[in-house]
Amino acid sequence: MLAKPESTGRDWRVLLRLGPWLRRQRILIVFALIAFAVSRLLEAAIPLFLREVIDRIDTGNPALLGPVLGIVACVLARLLVVTSARIGIRQAGINLVFDLRQTLFDRLQSQGATFFTRHTVGDMMTRAVSDLGLIRRLVSMGTIMAVIMVYATVIGFAAMFYLAPSLAWMVAPPLPFIAWYASRASKRMNSSSRQTQERLGELTDRTQERFGGIRTLQAMAREDAEIERFQTDNEAYAEAFRAQARVASAMTSVMPTLAAVATLTVIGYGGHLVLTEQITKGTFVAFFAYVAMVIAPMRSMGFLVNLVQRAAVAAGRVFEVLDLEPEINDQPSGATPGRMRGVLAAWGLTYTHPGSSNVALADLELDIQAGETIAIMGRVGAGKSTLLALFARMLEPPAGSVLIDGHPVADWPLRELRRQVALVPQDAFLFAQPLRENLSYDDPTRELEPILGAAEAADLESTITALPQGVATLIGERGVTLSGGQRQRTTLARGLIREAPILLLDDCFASVDTDTEERILDRLLAERTGLTTLMVTHRVSTARRADRILVLEAGRIEGFGSHAQLLASEGWYAELAQSQQQASARAMES
Amino acid sequence: MTPASARMFDADISGRIFDLGLLRRLFGWLAPQRNRLLISTLLVLVTAVLQVLLPVVLSLVVIDHLLMDEAASGIPDLGLVAFTEWLAGRLGTHPLVAACVLYGGLQLAIAVTGHYHRITLADAVIDGLADLRRAVFAHLARLPSSFWDRVAVGRVTTRVTNDVESLYDLLRGLGALVGELVPFFVALSIMLAVDAKLTLALLAFAPLLAGLTFGFRMLSRELYRRARQSLSLLNQQLQENLAGLTVVQLHGRETENLARYTATNTRHRKNEGRGMRLETVYGAVNDSLGSLALALVLWLGGMAVFEDALTLGAVVLFTRYIDMLFSPIVALGEQYNQLFRAMASGERIFQALDWREPLTEPAHPARLPSRLAGAIRIHDLTFAYPGGEPVLEDIELDIAAGSTLAVVGPTGSGKSTLVRLLPRLYEVPPGSIFIDDIDVNHIPSRELRRRIGIVLQDFHVFSGSILDNITLNDPAIDREVAIAAARAVGANGFIEALPDGYDTPLAERGRNLSQGQRQLLAFARVLAADPEILILDEATASIDPESERLIQQALARLTEGRTSIIIAHRLATVTDADAVAVLVNGRIEAAGAHADLLGRSPTYARLHAMQFQEL
Repeated sequence: MLAKPESTGRDWRVLLRLGPWLRRQRILIVFALIAFAVSRLLEAAIPLFLREVIDRIDTGNPALLGPVLGIVACVLARLLVVTSARIGIRQAGINLVFDLRQTLFDRLQSQGATFFTRHTVGDMMTRAVSDLGLIRRLVSMGTIMAVIMVYATVIGFAAMFYLAPSLAWMVAPPLPFIAWYASRASKRMNSSSRQTQERLGELTDRTQERFGGIRTLQAMAREDAEIERFQTDNEAYAEAFRAQARVASAMTSVMPTLAAVATLTVIGYGGHLVLTEQITKGTFVAFFAYVAMVIAPMRSMGFLVNLVQRAAVAAGRVFEVLDLEPEINDQPSGATPGRMRGVLAAWGLTYTHPGSSNVALADLELDIQAGETIAIMGRVGAGKSTLLALFARMLEPPAGSVLIDGHPVADWPLRELRRQVALVPQDAFLFAQPLRENLSYDDPTRELEPILGAAEAADLESTITALPQGVATLIGERGVTLSGGQRQRTTLARGLIREAPILLLDDCFASVDTDTEERILDRLLAERTGLTTLMVTHRVSTARRADRILVLEAGRIEGFGSHAQLLASEGWYAELAQSQQQASARAMES
Repeated sequence: MTPASARMFDADISGRIFDLGLLRRLFGWLAPQRNRLLISTLLVLVTAVLQVLLPVVLSLVVIDHLLMDEAASGIPDLGLVAFTEWLAGRLGTHPLVAACVLYGGLQLAIAVTGHYHRITLADAVIDGLADLRRAVFAHLARLPSSFWDRVAVGRVTTRVTNDVESLYDLLRGLGALVGELVPFFVALSIMLAVDAKLTLALLAFAPLLAGLTFGFRMLSRELYRRARQSLSLLNQQLQENLAGLTVVQLHGRETENLARYTATNTRHRKNEGRGMRLETVYGAVNDSLGSLALALVLWLGGMAVFEDALTLGAVVLFTRYIDMLFSPIVALGEQYNQLFRAMASGERIFQALDWREPLTEPAHPARLPSRLAGAIRIHDLTFAYPGGEPVLEDIELDIAAGSTLAVVGPTGSGKSTLVRLLPRLYEVPPGSIFIDDIDVNHIPSRELRRRIGIVLQDFHVFSGSILDNITLNDPAIDREVAIAAARAVGANGFIEALPDGYDTPLAERGRNLSQGQRQLLAFARVLAADPEILILDEATASIDPESERLIQQALARLTEGRTSIIIAHRLATVTDADAVAVLVNGRIEAAGAHADLLGRSPTYARLHAMQFQEL
């Protein structure tokens, strides 16, 4: 089980795991760390020149050009250095996320049904979007802040102690207090802003839900009452927002007031030192610059701590995905032949879906000859789809219990197995890509002719003709929406096009009307002579065309034989056939 | 309204233009907050003046007066020197201490006035926009079905949430800008009073900074747009790959898809890098300008001191004002992109508010008896969705009060449209549908819908408790009535088995209920409302036999003593009905009793053979 965002991650040590990934960016990082130090030194030199100018003005020395040009030189040099340092560290962040994103995609691609019963696509998207974003911010922004905090404090105090040690001693004590307040205030800010975000999230969810059910609300004439209920959520959000504004504003006010303590020290004690001629006026003025230099990073202390915490949680969640092993272990025996003949078998196959307590298939013994057409029937939940998925190794069967051509499915190279076992799933999923790509999904470079052939076999020609750009038409949200039947026939064509030795159809005609189904079936069965075909169906009229019919009942074989044999056996199938036939017979006679 | 204009609602509004009218309209929503805005504005003025005074204390009072002992240099100090001396006298301390007290006092005053300025402004904006948000929601919630048929719920939701959010950002940004601009002008006037020449020299940096900021915003806008695009493409690819992962794996597309993802990822890295470099350069140049200005002030100011035109303190004063002079320009730049984003949001919000798609309500509504008999007559009904082909043609139907009509027909035959017209979810042609001989157009839609209970096929479960879902928060339906309704439809069995019974909260969209349970809940909801007429679109999804039996019993209870129209997907429903109408391609192929129809309607025979389960 992967962790929820709030359940883990106080532990920042997970960030150490970024180490090996950051090592690939070490040149950029080392360069940036050095450059930041240089730029801080240049920055710290500016008040020294300022001091020189002030003192020269004060003492009536008109040679100002030197120190002024010194400032200009420092500014320009710093500009150059700091720009390259920042670009370096930020590029390292971008590169790091690039690498993480690649691996994340790769890891997720090798997950399967088991993984996605426990995790939603939405959760994975959050990891890929927000969590990676946080890691990038930690590297790009967090590093800069941390570096500045160290360099600015060290260099700033070094300068102050160099100029006037006694004043520097006076300035230092309140600083830890400022840092403490900053991190405390930032904690409050975060909790208040989290609350605001939660209220906004609720407002969004509920609004979406109300609009989703707007027909129900209007049909029951409840829309006015619902507007009032919306207002409650709206108010709750506004309330949280106002509270957040207060917290943020208070922090904006308190920080400079606390910082003023240091400034007042310089004015009061520094002024005294000037009057007693222990320091120059230039030193006095320069001190304000150094005080600002050491206080500025204190303000961002809380922000940095928060960023580290959040990035640690994010990194934890990202590494959970990066640590995933492929759900199906691909370790072919090397002893499997190149092309499948199409003999399918199950030997004492018992399968339970991970995390479920019910057995999906129990003790199944099955032998299917090459070239046979088998219909699979049974109630919802009888195990029909599970059986097909096991043959395509979309689910992992117990070792040696599912065989193709006498070899356990695990012995076949996974790629090869899935290339030769074409499973058309029940769910008619289409990609938001051109129809052509959807039809020839296994091979995007396939010629047009076989694509059109498969489309024709799935009774899609009229659909294609009606599309604005034919097979080049974009499907999906940004393109053309196909009807349920059209989608199902597209997925069917996507399976047929592969001319696989083994074809598994999982209830692919549910949204297709019976006449069309008959047409498709005629052609399909003719073309697949000599090839093994398994099809899950609910219609007796379809099932009777198969060589044999497998009836599953709660994961066990209830009957397996030809249409005539099953009719004679008076089981579930016979009952179903009778009721379906009676209905059509009555329709016929009248 | 044509489908084209429907697409208009969903179309992307990019907000390329600066629209003053839009801004004025937005400010209209802040009008009720004018007192708070006024107070906030006064406070920002006070704060600005105090902020500008701080450097004066440091430079003119402390440096010039106390440290240099410049006697009356002629530089305006706003009376602060005299005040400090007076304070020192009152406190009996060294003037340096008095200056510290003054400085600290000013800082405290700034903290207080600044705080109240910000929170009154925030309150005004938050409350004004909460009103706007409510209005948008209320307006959209009242738009008829024809509107909701065409739009994506998620995108409409965005108008109420994200779009209003970006107006918050805009208004708060504008508020912050005011907070920067006021000190700018106050500082500027003091600087001009102290030394006009030096001020103008310093101001020369302003156009430089403004040009730089403007150029950066123009460039970055395009770069960021590209980066956003490549990021959204990247996420789209991942999302789609995960959603269709089964298909990906079944077709061995992992390598190809990773290669495509890598290509997008690489493009994104490039786009991100470009934006980042531009931003970094701008940021660094931007904060270097302040230091260059410092050099300029020291150079020119220093010279002026030697000519006795300026004091040392005045030079320091100028160095302290540099930030105040530059930061509004940078802030303006920050608001620039925000402004355009908010413009687009504003446009979308007001488009939603202006969207007129009302249902015609009767000018002289018919008076209905407290209980309708419920006889329904449909006469010569032809109906087409706006801009489309007719979906119903020449429909003639008579449904006796209290009887049940089952409607059957293949997908797309117009069944759903037919039953949705009865409660006027769409504009009904006049003189075509009558209830108790009253044209439905003469009944206000609200009133009509209270009389007609509808269970749609995609019945919606709201988050909240089971009870809330039965009553739909109607105070007229009390707990007893709701529970009685649940009992009557046989939903009490599963409800009472739940941990908190009727008060059990339902997960998002009732995901913790089975299809059958949700349907029973929908039945209870309608029964609790006790309408005179019932419309039911039976669910087609497969339901376990136990629920199936419960539903069939519930149906009998629901239709009892109520005129009912049911789009039937179960054999039992059809055989139990008083009459059946077969709809094919928007026309009635046949109508009559079940036994009768098998012989007369080929479609009916075919549907019957498939037990009406066809999807």
